[in-house]
Amino acid sequence: MAGGAAGAAGAAGAAGAGGAGGLSDGELVERFSHVTVDRDTAAFYRGWLHHELLLNYCDDCGHWAHPPRPMCPACWSTKVTARPVSGRGTVHLLMLLHQGPAAPDVDYLAGPYPVVTVELDEQVGLRFTSTVTGCPAAEIAIGMPVELHWIDRHGAPFPVFRPIPEPGVTPS
Amino acid sequence: MSTKGTRYPIKDQVAIVGIGSTGFSRRGDRSSQAMALDASVAAIRDAGLTRDDIDGIVATGEPGAVGAHQLASGLGIAELTHHSKPAPVVMFSILDAMHAVFSGLCENVLVCSSMLRLPWSSQSAANDPFRRHLRSGVTAMPETVANAPAYAAWAGRYLHEHGVSREAFARVAVNCRTNAFDNPLAAMRSPMTFGDYHAARMIREPLCMLDMDLPVDGADAFVLTTAERARTLAHPPVLIHVATSGLVGPNDEDQLGSLAQHGQHVVVKSLKARSDIWLDDVDVYLPYDGFTIITVGWIENTGWCPPGEAGRFLAEHWVGDGDAGRVLINGRIPMNPHGGSLSEGGTRGTGHVREAVVQLRGDAGVRQVPGARTALITSGGFFFNSQGAILRRA
Repeated sequence: MAGGAAGAAGAAGAAGAGGAGGLSDGELVERFSHVTVDRDTAAFYRGWLHHELLLNYCDDCGHWAHPPRPMCPACWSTKVTARPVSGRGTVHLLMLLHQGPAAPDVDYLAGPYPVVTVELDEQVGLRFTSTVTGCPAAEIAIGMPVELHWIDRHGAPFPVFRPIPEPGVTPS
Repeated sequence: MSTKGTRYPIKDQVAIVGIGSTGFSRRGDRSSQAMALDASVAAIRDAGLTRDDIDGIVATGEPGAVGAHQLASGLGIAELTHHSKPAPVVMFSILDAMHAVFSGLCENVLVCSSMLRLPWSSQSAANDPFRRHLRSGVTAMPETVANAPAYAAWAGRYLHEHGVSREAFARVAVNCRTNAFDNPLAAMRSPMTFGDYHAARMIREPLCMLDMDLPVDGADAFVLTTAERARTLAHPPVLIHVATSGLVGPNDEDQLGSLAQHGQHVVVKSLKARSDIWLDDVDVYLPYDGFTIITVGWIENTGWCPPGEAGRFLAEHWVGDGDAGRVLINGRIPMNPHGGSLSEGGTRGTGHVREAVVQLRGDAGVRQVPGARTALITSGGFFFNSQGAILRRA
């Protein structure tokens, strides 16, 4: 099992050495200085650079888990790989921030800023938290189907959600 | 999970024999150390003990709060056989202290928790040059439900799942303010009406300003010893009948299974398995209220009413005119008679424990529940700090 752990770390390290994204680990940490990038989350944030939401998947039992942890909480396998999710899901939690932490393009005075936790289609209870764009805050509701979308934040891609247009309706 | 309660030898074996409080304020210009020392000296004196009797100190690890070792130095205590700094919300500290006493490691343990308004949660604190060295350490970004925002996110889920209004939240907030009027230690003693609640500014919708506890300055301290020694001291002994914490996995704020299975449910199972006493025998109820949704969760998960019915339950057990008033369960049991974290101040639960002791001693003055013998405390929220205790007068 120790070999499995070393393998997982080695795979992440290989990507860090100039694989997809082309950034060293040091450059990755620098690029995402507004969040905490460590050995457990490096692959997750590296995915953002090429517009992929990578969540940890157990190669042994097929269980997804987030936030990134180095061992599968279901079967204790260390063969855990950051793997892309479809990005589709439904709004599970919703709040509207009338004030909050400063961020580029977030203007609380212009109206409340939505924060959603989306339950992803991949697995019951697997969720990812971000915001919803392309839709007035008042129209966002728990149960609404959404899909992944990317915006720019601090000069790097940042994963958000947008409503899935209903068939036959032209997106505004 | 050990909730069967077949083995619980600590039951009724440890007592709270001393309490000390500075009271709580939204102003205040004293240091955390000054307040902690003040409350600690008061608690040791209240117990009828001296510093030479104290052989353990547990100091809650609040940001800006002094540690147990600093308190030992500050109080001039020569030797301790146990000291620790547990995470916030009071029961972790009470549990640690009672376990030190029961194991025989200590005879008399001081528990101290000092609260300081912090520069990132209070404008007046941000203006205080002596608080500039305090840093939150939390990466601030809007798109998260970690920490405090979790309660707004799950409050929205609660309203959605049950198809109810914010009435339960409003009653929790108004109850606390009405009660705080009678508590000289409370920070907010001006009246609040339902109109005030519904007019309050939204912060993290669906929670408004009045759904959140108050950043305050102040400190509470307690002294714990054996039940045997407690019988020789000045006050009627207040025994810890049972105390517990509770946690589920996953417990990340956005990965929590549901509102039907989290830390509060584990606490309730644990208390019921270990206690000889349950709701029918409770005289004072002290649910945590860092956010109103936490109290609503406790009311329902403790079993006072079914899930989703806290609003109806509180309305049925309401005393007072249409625009204000307070809760009196079955016409008898007050809820947070000291005003809770919402109106006494954000003590992280020390106020709830102190009020339990004061009520069980019979020292609560105009707030006194006649003949109170049993207090139920359910502290902490849904994620990392769900806790509970039943205290009883010996």
